Amino acid sequence: MNEEIALSARAISKYFHEPETFQVLKDISFDVKKGEFLSMIGKSGSGKSTLLYLLSTMDTDYTGEITINGECLTGRTQNQLAAFRNAHIGFVFQFHYLLPEFTALDNVMLPALKLGKKSQEEIREDAYSNLKMLGLEAQAMKQSNKLSGGQQQRVAIARALINQPAVIMGDEPTGNLDSKNTDIVFEIFRQLAAERGQTIIAVTHDDEFAQKSDRILELGDGRLLN
Amino acid sequence: MSRVTNLKISRAHLTSRVKQTMVAILSVTFGISMYIFMNGFMTGVNDTQTELAFSTLAHIHIYNDLPEDNTNLLQKKYGDDKLVNLRNAKVIQYTEGIKNSAKIIAAIEDHPAITGITPQVNVNVFFRNGATKLNGVLSGIDVNQESVLFGTEKYITQGSWRSLEDRGDGVVLGAGLAAKLSLTLDDNVTVITADGVSRNFKVIGIIKTTIGGVDNAKGYVRISSARQLISKNQGYVTDIQINIKNFNEATKVATQLAPKVAYKVESWNESNGQLQAGNDLRNIIAVAVSLTILLVAGFGIFNIMNMTVNEKIKEIAILKAMGFDGTDIIQIFLVQSVIIGVIGGIVGIIFGYLVSVLVSFIPFRVATLDTLPMVYDPQDYILAFIFGLITTFVAGYLPAKKASQVDPVEIIRG
Ligand SMILES: Nc1ncnc2c1ncn2[C@@H]1O[C@H](COP(=O)(O)OP(=O)(O)OP(=O)(O)O)[C@@H](O)[C@H]1O
Ligand SMILES: [Mg+2]
Repeated sequence: MNEEIALSARAISKYFHEPETFQVLKDISFDVKKGEFLSMIGKSGSGKSTLLYLLSTMDTDYTGEITINGECLTGRTQNQLAAFRNAHIGFVFQFHYLLPEFTALDNVMLPALKLGKKSQEEIREDAYSNLKMLGLEAQAMKQSNKLSGGQQQRVAIARALINQPAVIMGDEPTGNLDSKNTDIVFEIFRQLAAERGQTIIAVTHDDEFAQKSDRILELGDGRLLN
Repeated sequence: MSRVTNLKISRAHLTSRVKQTMVAILSVTFGISMYIFMNGFMTGVNDTQTELAFSTLAHIHIYNDLPEDNTNLLQKKYGDDKLVNLRNAKVIQYTEGIKNSAKIIAAIEDHPAITGITPQVNVNVFFRNGATKLNGVLSGIDVNQESVLFGTEKYITQGSWRSLEDRGDGVVLGAGLAAKLSLTLDDNVTVITADGVSRNFKVIGIIKTTIGGVDNAKGYVRISSARQLISKNQGYVTDIQINIKNFNEATKVATQLAPKVAYKVESWNESNGQLQAGNDLRNIIAVAVSLTILLVAGFGIFNIMNMTVNEKIKEIAILKAMGFDGTDIIQIFLVQSVIIGVIGGIVGIIFGYLVSVLVSFIPFRVATLDTLPMVYDPQDYILAFIFGLITTFVAGYLPAKKASQVDPVEIIRG
């Protein structure tokens, strides 16, 4: 693990105004190193998902500053952020969201096709090897809404990895998986971090999963606890 | 590459809900085919109407206008500050008709727009057969030119138009007039002028134009016979009728001719405002009805695209999370409605043409018609397609814009 900073959050605060104004995140600052595998834990309602949406640049309504790969993302336009997400951030959601009309393989290919850096053939090969890594090579050509919940979740993970993003974020990425598949996903994350230097930030309720990761960040009532 | 990807997503959306897509396409098809049919039909009706009207009406008409208001000539002379009292005013003499028609015709016939000129001597007369006496118009005409301008010859139902040339005592009578006078071919009819001159003519033809003014009140004779009847010499005419290449330019040509002629030069639309008004109104109705239908089709597409956006809102959120920007999302949804518009447009053009052809075979035996009139103007087809595309574009843009503004966090948070 080298000492480069992959992501840094400075004095992040966020308020919700509906139904009444309350501060959901309170002055949060932390750094994540390149290649670090970070788990974020905390009680339900402590603000983990909210923080992750901010870090992923999808939510821009906050105060403070977020820097990823040395680029300060605070204050950029929606379209700039979309392009940045496409190239540098992979996101796995609590619920798998796939395009139901597309095959598993097509779903995985989408972000790379959008990025447009490689030929369609190369992208297809990358997508296929990602699916294989997650034990889904037999499902590659199946339409995604014909897959089981756990399979869909793994397709979503394969999709998040396709552009080899600098940072991979997951909101309970193993929430729908059994312990065997949770182990597979954990192992993949660990490898990506260790071997390719990709940074992982995973929100989880799975203590065992968190304990095995490089570092744990605990949120409580909108503050960092450790 | 990203454009290809967007297209692929558009196509997936369209094909995943075939029924809705078909409904949207059909509504555009319907709107466009109605536009084509309505406009083709209305133009057909207008053309028929105009053609019928021009079977007696020339594009430009030269005649001796009655003198203007002559009730108090002295007032004009002395001005408004003097009171003039004139009782029982009468016009004692004014020149009727046109004296030297040949000179006038020579002066104007060089005009490039003119396709035909014919002189007429029209006389108000009584037609009498035995005890039956009807008033009408005896039209002294140039047998050849009259038919060139008005196609009179083709309305002849009995006898022959050409024999007017050979027989100075021959008359061609309107069918209704002949029937009322109980006259058939080769019978004699007496014509009496306002001055009391009477003369016998032989019925050598019956004409039926469906225009009341002709069929029920008109008789045609050689122009020289008409002059004789009212004791006028060679060169006298009451009207000069002129046809031009494009009847829509009648007013323009009339104003060009006016300075060369000492008499009133009047275009058909000046004397028959109701014809033009009827044409304009029918065109407005056709456009209004078909645009309304297109508008309804537009609402249909708007509705369907809105439903699609709502249905796919999670996918939109995920696409945005993966880095598809607002422009991509607009493209994805706009392409869908444009595809609907193009397919609906092409099918609509074909369908509109078929409906028009079908309707043009419906029997409709009125006037000179056998079937309903129909015109196939390529411009209608092009305009229909363009209007269809504009409608679907606007109807699709609003939902697409809405889709592009979806906040992914709000959707993903659940
Ligand atoms: N759109 C919103 N408007 C108002 N309050 C919100 C909104 N979204 C979340 N909250 C509130 O913010 C707080 C943090 O929510 P968040 O989803 O970040 O919790 P979490 O730590 O992810 O919980 P969990 O582990 O259950 O997923 C909660 O109290 C929640 O009720
Ligand atoms: Mg959460």
